[in-house]
Amino acid sequence: MNFFLQMMVSGLLAGAVYALMAMAVVVIYKSSSIFNFAHGSLVAFAAFLMWALVVQWELPLPAVIPIFVLALFTVGFLIQRLILQPLTGQPLMAAVMATIALGDVFAGIVTLVWPGPGRTLPQIIPSRVFHLGGTVMSSESLVNFLICCLAFAGFFFFFRKTKLGLAMRGTAEDHALAQSEGIRVSWIFVVSWVVAILMAAVGGILMSSLYGVNLAPLHGLGMKSLAVVILGGLESIQGAIVGGLIIGIAEAIGAGYLDPYVGGGFNELTPFLIILLVLIIKPYGLFGYERIERL
Amino acid sequence: MFKKPCGTFDETYERDSALVRTPLRWAGLILLFMVMFLGFPFLAGPYYLDVANNIGITVIAVVGLQILIGFTGQISLGHAAFMATGAYTSAMLSDHLGWPFWVTMPLAALSAGLLGLLVALPALRIRGFYIAVSTFAAHYIIMWLLLHGGDLTMGTSGLTADEISVGGFTFDTEFRMYYLIMGITVVMVFLTNNLMRTKVGRAMLAVRDNDLAAAFMGINVFRTKVLAFFISSVFAGIAGALLAHYQGLITVEQFTLMDSIWMLGMLIIGGPTIIGAILGAIFLRLLAQFILFLAPAIGEVFPSFSSSAVAGFTQILFGAVIILFLVFEPRGLAHRWQIILATFRLWPFKTPLGR
Repeated sequence: MNFFLQMMVSGLLAGAVYALMAMAVVVIYKSSSIFNFAHGSLVAFAAFLMWALVVQWELPLPAVIPIFVLALFTVGFLIQRLILQPLTGQPLMAAVMATIALGDVFAGIVTLVWPGPGRTLPQIIPSRVFHLGGTVMSSESLVNFLICCLAFAGFFFFFRKTKLGLAMRGTAEDHALAQSEGIRVSWIFVVSWVVAILMAAVGGILMSSLYGVNLAPLHGLGMKSLAVVILGGLESIQGAIVGGLIIGIAEAIGAGYLDPYVGGGFNELTPFLIILLVLIIKPYGLFGYERIERL
Repeated sequence: MFKKPCGTFDETYERDSALVRTPLRWAGLILLFMVMFLGFPFLAGPYYLDVANNIGITVIAVVGLQILIGFTGQISLGHAAFMATGAYTSAMLSDHLGWPFWVTMPLAALSAGLLGLLVALPALRIRGFYIAVSTFAAHYIIMWLLLHGGDLTMGTSGLTADEISVGGFTFDTEFRMYYLIMGITVVMVFLTNNLMRTKVGRAMLAVRDNDLAAAFMGINVFRTKVLAFFISSVFAGIAGALLAHYQGLITVEQFTLMDSIWMLGMLIIGGPTIIGAILGAIFLRLLAQFILFLAPAIGEVFPSFSSSAVAGFTQILFGAVIILFLVFEPRGLAHRWQIILATFRLWPFKTPLGR
């Protein structure tokens, strides 16, 4: 029982970060119906960029944050304007391949510019271990969890109370209607890319406190958020949060109970098994819009 | 589908159903085969024969993928995993049981095909984007199983596959393998071309263009989609089996998600025809070869880690090429090829296809 509780807790802590990264995918899908396969690479790219600013160039923190945000803003703007805007109206394959190719470009940039073994960001929080009711958790994952909760609260506020957030939700409902209300839909697409990249960046930085700044694990974590999005439903932000927590817990429990039998590495597989199961049983996810289609 | 020059008429049924319709086409085809089988292999050294062999194997897999993506309109991100299935099936059968290649290759094709069938089953409930995601998940599951297959698949160290020998004749050099691979490639391309002329092939095109309309005309949409997955995976299985026995050693690292994406990229660059798939495969393989050729120069610019610099550079260039094609020439090289043909045919008049 204690073991089970431990698995639940560590799964929950990891799941919150998955949920944050999955929200980034949902925000883009909601506004522009493009599924972002480049997410994993963008997560890694953002973490490496942060490392370059903080460690390589040793900039002070007040300078780091505006430069970081500005750089990611530029990236999001260029992606939307130069690549995805011209693809409007093309078949599904084009949008899928464009984001996949984009992911390649960013993974390539990371390998080219920051080659070799992984790096670590400086530790801000002292590393410590907490005991709570028979379970163990590290200060890093606890802080990650708290930051994610703050980010969730922030995004809920943003989407419900601010004008820009409401405009984004309006755009997600209906492009033509949003345009008639005076919302610049093309600009909203740019904003949603920027917001998504910022979320991906926060997720990447939080995760690199656990895994270091490495391309492969960060990219893998980004890909895991695809499973979260499929489970939660493509259009649902609440779905991303619930899905993230479920996937985190399922992964921890799967790894805890099955690894001894299959020889390790089962947690890499869990998200994809969940994807297949969801697609067979409830294809539109827990909270996604169910489109009734005759097949 | 096939535009004929002015003044060429089909006056008999035989003429109408012929694969090659004009004398000029015959001449072109014979010239191509002469270059392929009598010219190139005698002029090229083992290095370029190796490049050509890899292109041939890729063409088989990519033409198979074209049946699924270009002709049936279903996206698969797991083609490399089906190739891996074929490669491992063939290697396991020849390694553990010692069966000859002409037995293991059909079995490899069949096992990959059946797996493709299994992956396509969610198509009963979902379509479009969701199918792509299910193949994406299937890729990871298949590769995980191959990696953790214990003594059967030998984990990370990989499996050895014997050289192909049929009736005492061993295909042990690049030169001999060239004829085997190119022969199979030509047969597979021919089969694909014929498939698209049959009822099944037409049904696939109908499903791609509008599946509701296709169902209305009496086509079993689900069966057509699953069949497309099966056929495309059979092609991948054959390509995988050839790759396994050609390279002699297969590991899980040879079949990554990146390889599936490369094949998708070849289709984007080539365009939605059989010729397009072939052109795209040749174009991207030659591009990769060109980067290897440039590698020393890249190593000088980024001296710290030249090998990973080359890998990164390849990835960036590859992604950029796909994006450029998507944005500026979504109909691919095949469209360019049509423009070139039309230019020759209609000269000195302008082509209606050009911009």
